Amino acid sequence: MSSDEPRALTASPGGETQAPDDVRGRELERRLPHPGRRATDRRNNRPLPASVLTPPTPAPAPHLDDYRAIVGQGQLDTLRFLAKEVQGKTIKLVNSTAVGGGVAEMLNRMVPLLSELEVPTHWDVITGGNDFFEITKAFHNALHGAPYELTQAAKNIFLMYNEQNRQRMHFGEDLVVIHDPQPVGLILSRPQTRANWVWRCHVDLSNPNLAVWEFLRPLVEQFDAAIFSSQSFARQLPIPQYLFYPCIDPLSEKNKEMPDWQIQQICDEFGIDRSRPVVTQVSRFDRLKDPVGVVQAYKLAKKYVDCQLVLAGGGATDDPEGATVLQEVKEAAGSDPDIIILDLPPWCAVQINAIQRASTIIVQKSLKEGFGLTVTEALWKGKPTIAGAAGGIPNQIMHKLTGVLVHSVEGCAFQIRYLLTHPEFARSIGTAGREQVKENFLMTTNAKRWLLLFRILEQGKARRGHAA
Amino acid sequence: MATAGTSAEKPSLRKPQKPFYFNTSENLLRIESQKANNLSELLAALKTCPDDSIFQHTFRTLQEHHFIRQGFSNDFAHWSVFACNEPALAEQLAGVDIREFTAIEGLRRRMVEILDEFLDLHNMSGDRPAHEPFYFCASDIVVLPTAFCADTLPAFLDGLNQVTIHSIHHHFIEARLRLQRMSNDFSEWLREQAGLSQSAGDIERIDMYANTMEGVRRQIARIVSQAMN
Repeated sequence: MSSDEPRALTASPGGETQAPDDVRGRELERRLPHPGRRATDRRNNRPLPASVLTPPTPAPAPHLDDYRAIVGQGQLDTLRFLAKEVQGKTIKLVNSTAVGGGVAEMLNRMVPLLSELEVPTHWDVITGGNDFFEITKAFHNALHGAPYELTQAAKNIFLMYNEQNRQRMHFGEDLVVIHDPQPVGLILSRPQTRANWVWRCHVDLSNPNLAVWEFLRPLVEQFDAAIFSSQSFARQLPIPQYLFYPCIDPLSEKNKEMPDWQIQQICDEFGIDRSRPVVTQVSRFDRLKDPVGVVQAYKLAKKYVDCQLVLAGGGATDDPEGATVLQEVKEAAGSDPDIIILDLPPWCAVQINAIQRASTIIVQKSLKEGFGLTVTEALWKGKPTIAGAAGGIPNQIMHKLTGVLVHSVEGCAFQIRYLLTHPEFARSIGTAGREQVKENFLMTTNAKRWLLLFRILEQGKARRGHAA
Repeated sequence: MATAGTSAEKPSLRKPQKPFYFNTSENLLRIESQKANNLSELLAALKTCPDDSIFQHTFRTLQEHHFIRQGFSNDFAHWSVFACNEPALAEQLAGVDIREFTAIEGLRRRMVEILDEFLDLHNMSGDRPAHEPFYFCASDIVVLPTAFCADTLPAFLDGLNQVTIHSIHHHFIEARLRLQRMSNDFSEWLREQAGLSQSAGDIERIDMYANTMEGVRRQIARIVSQAMN
């Protein structure tokens, strides 16, 4: 490899394996070791380190007491007290996939935590054919504002699979939480149950395709409450709407503390020089994350300050657009040896953790964003963070207090220069950012929100019972 | 940095008759229907929104941002500067000290007055679109006990040092609405149960806007420690 070229490391498919048609299958496929996957640098044939080629064995889920050192005994006492108040009552969570995606990842952590608090929590996954999941994928995009022509046939298929699942499932719990639009039709079972029903919407409904939303709205309005990830994602509804921020697990592989030798080892494997400033963006190679804009901002900043740029992400091996974007990023990077582009497999949580911890500044220059959990991860590591003012990011970054918000390449370049030359300020926003996550965006805070909601809904039900 | 707890006079200690029960409050954020896309809409919504929303965006937000040392006072001020680019208005709104209010209605009136006067003077500012809307929220609040109950000053100090920041916020900031007095639970107990009037007054003068909530905790602890020694 020539020393004056950007170091682009990638894990790319070596064989022509046809991915399954259905969306869930593809989701799963992305997260399993690919038999033909061969890790190479597409431009330079430089392989990724062997340590990232196969998924690690999953770590056991942490116990509640493991969080004491992070959130304090008082928070655990609060959780236990709240749990005691709903002890003996049960929760059912329903979503559409057991693997892949942020929702499944969150539920994987939340279910054992609530169960350890003696609030038995069952997680059920709806089933459906390819036709169902193609429609729900289209609904998902349409609810984000994409154009879509809703047909009667699509409505019928959606309702038919919901009805099949409804007949199959039993709702004997006290709280039923339906995640996202796919299983929303299960609400039709509500009159036959004693449960409070909550719709947890992870989708940004601020600008939905109205045909799809008007189809779903009558179902949503039958719930006892709805939950959104940001104020701006909500709709006008006749039921109470609550704000639950998405959260990270501080004890997960991606977020837990790690020894410096391990950080150094991983940086050495990727050729990251920790003796010089490191600016990093972690995200899929997706235009909405504006990786080319990040390269441009870095180049503007580099005229005045010395730094390296690490773009670490995935998505280029299984998403045709991702591969195109990766190519665009490489072209934008040109021959700068200080730009390190890493196309990593999805199981590289430890590596991402190390890269974030080795970074001087973390950037998330998204043009459009859901909540932006990569921002949460950066803030949790106490890193001064520069982020696009999109989606849920302003919920996390209060400009100049817990990070800095930018709206342009030039703004991003200026903030890189400013933070690299004002380390005291950088440190102060990094510290406040970590506190912001500790207060609002950790798994334990989310468990508390669920228990509070459970209690509030139970009290409401008791009042309604008395009134009747 | 704010200084408090400088009383030179040695207070007379007495055994508290009633223990101090450390409680805490937790809240669940509700998204309300009102939102403002500019300052005129903010003014209109401020006049009609539920008391819970005023409480959320003034009192409660201080807890959510308890770790910020400076530059944060309430959501209306923050939005005025960062979404509307009106630093002069933001300064005025930030200058509203919630400790001067023992009822939400007075606090609402003050916010409305400031915004009304500002828009009278700057009539072009009212309809200029904000970078992002202001979404009105409110809280469902649940008060919970903690493991700490103090019937002596050392036990009080121990509890103070160990409870969560939410408990400090509950007793020190939210208490004035509950008590409808310009005071807080700590000062009330120290004054009435331990005879520490001077310390109680010193605690009332702690500047929470120039401190993190941890800083407030430390100052209260210092004042109580001084009274004990």
